[in-house]
Amino acid sequence: MDNIAGTKSSLTWVVHISVALLVILWLLPTIGLFVSSFRTADQIATSGWWKALTASEQNLTLRSAAPDTQVETNGLFVIEGQLFDAAQEAEISAWGINSRAIDAFKPGDTADLRKGGTITVQTDGSYRMENTEAFAGKRGQRVFVVATVPPELTFENYRAMLFSDENATGMVKAFFNTLTVTIPATVIPILVAAFAAYALAWMDFPGRALLIAVIVGLLVVPLQLALIPLLKLHLNIGIGKGYLGIWLAHTGFGLPLAIYLLRNYMVGLPRDIIENARVDGATEYQIFTKIILPLSFPALASFAIFQFLWTWNDLLVAKVFLIDATGQTTVMTAQIVELLGTYGGNWEVLATAAFVSISVPLIVFFTMQRYLVRGLLAGSVK
Amino acid sequence: MKRPLYAGVAALALMTNAALADGHLPIAPGEGGLNWASLEAFGAANNLEGEELTFFGPWLAGEAQSFKDMMAYFGEVTGAKWSYVGSDSLEQQIVIDSEAGSPPNLVAFPQPGLAANMASRGFLKSLGSDTADWVTENYAAGSSWVDLGTYADASGNKDFLGFFFNVNVKSLVWYIPENFEDAGYDVPTTMEELKALTDQIVADGETPWCIGLGSGGATGWPATDWVEDLMLRTQPPEVYDQWVTNDMPFNDPRVVAAIEEFGAFARVEENVAGGTGAVATTDFRDSPKGMFSTPPQCYMHRQASFIPAYFPEGTELGADADFFYFPAYESKDLGKPVLGGGTIISITDDSKAARAFMEFLKTPFAHEIMMTQEGFLTPHKGANPETYFSDTQRGLGDILLNATTFRFDGSDLMPGGVGAGTFWTGMVDYAGGKPAQQVADEIQDSWDALK
Repeated sequence: MDNIAGTKSSLTWVVHISVALLVILWLLPTIGLFVSSFRTADQIATSGWWKALTASEQNLTLRSAAPDTQVETNGLFVIEGQLFDAAQEAEISAWGINSRAIDAFKPGDTADLRKGGTITVQTDGSYRMENTEAFAGKRGQRVFVVATVPPELTFENYRAMLFSDENATGMVKAFFNTLTVTIPATVIPILVAAFAAYALAWMDFPGRALLIAVIVGLLVVPLQLALIPLLKLHLNIGIGKGYLGIWLAHTGFGLPLAIYLLRNYMVGLPRDIIENARVDGATEYQIFTKIILPLSFPALASFAIFQFLWTWNDLLVAKVFLIDATGQTTVMTAQIVELLGTYGGNWEVLATAAFVSISVPLIVFFTMQRYLVRGLLAGSVK
Repeated sequence: MKRPLYAGVAALALMTNAALADGHLPIAPGEGGLNWASLEAFGAANNLEGEELTFFGPWLAGEAQSFKDMMAYFGEVTGAKWSYVGSDSLEQQIVIDSEAGSPPNLVAFPQPGLAANMASRGFLKSLGSDTADWVTENYAAGSSWVDLGTYADASGNKDFLGFFFNVNVKSLVWYIPENFEDAGYDVPTTMEELKALTDQIVADGETPWCIGLGSGGATGWPATDWVEDLMLRTQPPEVYDQWVTNDMPFNDPRVVAAIEEFGAFARVEENVAGGTGAVATTDFRDSPKGMFSTPPQCYMHRQASFIPAYFPEGTELGADADFFYFPAYESKDLGKPVLGGGTIISITDDSKAARAFMEFLKTPFAHEIMMTQEGFLTPHKGANPETYFSDTQRGLGDILLNATTFRFDGSDLMPGGVGAGTFWTGMVDYAGGKPAQQVADEIQDSWDALK
């Protein structure tokens, strides 16, 4: 092992490549969701998101202008127009007028229509229908094309979610409701847990070890068990459904993990500092506020991130303790579920909503993430 | 005499507008051929100034908006403060809220099984015999709607607890008329013709059906609708009723025959888009899109009246896509049976406003204002069919009003463990290749276990 300092192990590249691969694998679903949020519902239903990034050959069903746009010149009835939208640049390689033979004709060919007359379609999608009699009916002729279509992404989903009349007010209300839930539900458990963790780490009293064991044991109790009994309690003591109730519920559900994390961190602080302070005559409260709290900041921050993410993304607890039939206390998650529609098929909304909803936790995470790693490591490794 | 009343409504609208965050009045008073007189009479008889009404329902997004618009008129004429909250997990949430003692005033149940369950725990308040009589008289096939809304309460007494509002028709086959024209097919009017058409399409080298059973945790339910529809087309309605209550066991040969009828469509490789393997895995919401692809992957799709919501954007019903009645056998004299479903409104927290709202639902206006919006059908005989949103909706409404036999979705009437459990999973197994007899035996076993 004489190369331990100085030269790099030749395995470094393997490590780098596998890390890169894992990261890509890990991010793939998120990227897919992100691309999908810029696509329309029909696009999502018909092709995969990876096809959205490059020009692709697609089969399309298009329709000519309706017969009421026809022009008569010298006894010849003509309908002219463009199959594609004005902004779309597509190239037709084959076309047809029967759903059984969608590529029967080449661009420039002329096809006989079943109800009389002819149609000619060019590569760029322009067409000309001719007939010696007037075209009848209310609708235009269906034209099937095989065309190479450039990638088409749209901001429509985001606009519909954030700025349209029907959704914007609901989303803004839900956003502030969520903040009203999240911030106290993050601050309260940290306050309580910091005191408890200090006591469990540095104060001697009988039954301390047992108390720690009980708290660790509470970590494995699923919160679903407590939903109905806790709601009944809230209603009996007059809290009812509302913000106070959900703050208490989130505090209760978050405390075991908070105490456990913070206690493990505080136990690892150097004993000498605390004993020195005791010798100098500091009270327990002074030790806690002047020494322990500043030193524990990374652990506090990392738990704050955890609790914030969990309360931000929570739907279950909010539905049980907060959202009542008045509809005034909807949170983001519930609002997003509502946007999905009665039968839950609006995928484009889901993809978009995920990224709208994720933006705040992302900001919180990136501003505090340096504490997250430090806090977690300091709590677990001695 | 009418003019001042309209003016009164309009003035009220201006005053209360600020209080109403959601819901607007899509149609100005006096327009659209609606029965405005019934709204005025109702408003004159009910002053609910200062009262509050909370409503909890399964409708979200667009459908929720339609309902809120209807509630907005209720709020306008009575002065009551109202709110509507929709949830996709209503089944769980209403039970939690009722258990804990904080239910809303009114609930719309998506299916009677849940309402019956809530009734047996004593959470629903009686609607009274006069409401039952009203339904009998004013709904097409009224007494069957009363029966479907009558449940046993906590002490076992039968009582009328659920009022049907917003019905859907399930016996429909959707198709694209222009694709039929291209291929020269005619719309079948008998089951024999439908089967011949299926074979014809296969013979032409195409795929006749798009069938998708996927629906997350509820995967399999579209197949139960198939079996129920075929049950009504192979057996008289009395047998259907016995089947639903388990007076006739699930593994009776007549039920097995109906399951196999479904198999004749769905378990033949060439009959379904993607092959039989795709039946259980395709999501029911994506399934109809096969008809619209280029070239079409299939020609027909049997699904309830709500499915156009999942047609591609911009699809014009009646022109781009249309429906025909899922036909009955000509050889069997069973009339024109129709399978349907519907939402039930019940009182969970009694109040003056809740009672008034149930009265409001009896006015033709409440139905007509919903009819002017997409996705609503009513059996109310007093409502003006002219107000339906589209010709397609009107056609669906006609099927409902003209049905010789109307039967409710059987899986919704069966106990939850069967109708929303083993029946679903059993049909997925059947689509995957399990024999019909074995599937039926297993479902009957699970039913016995619940007794």
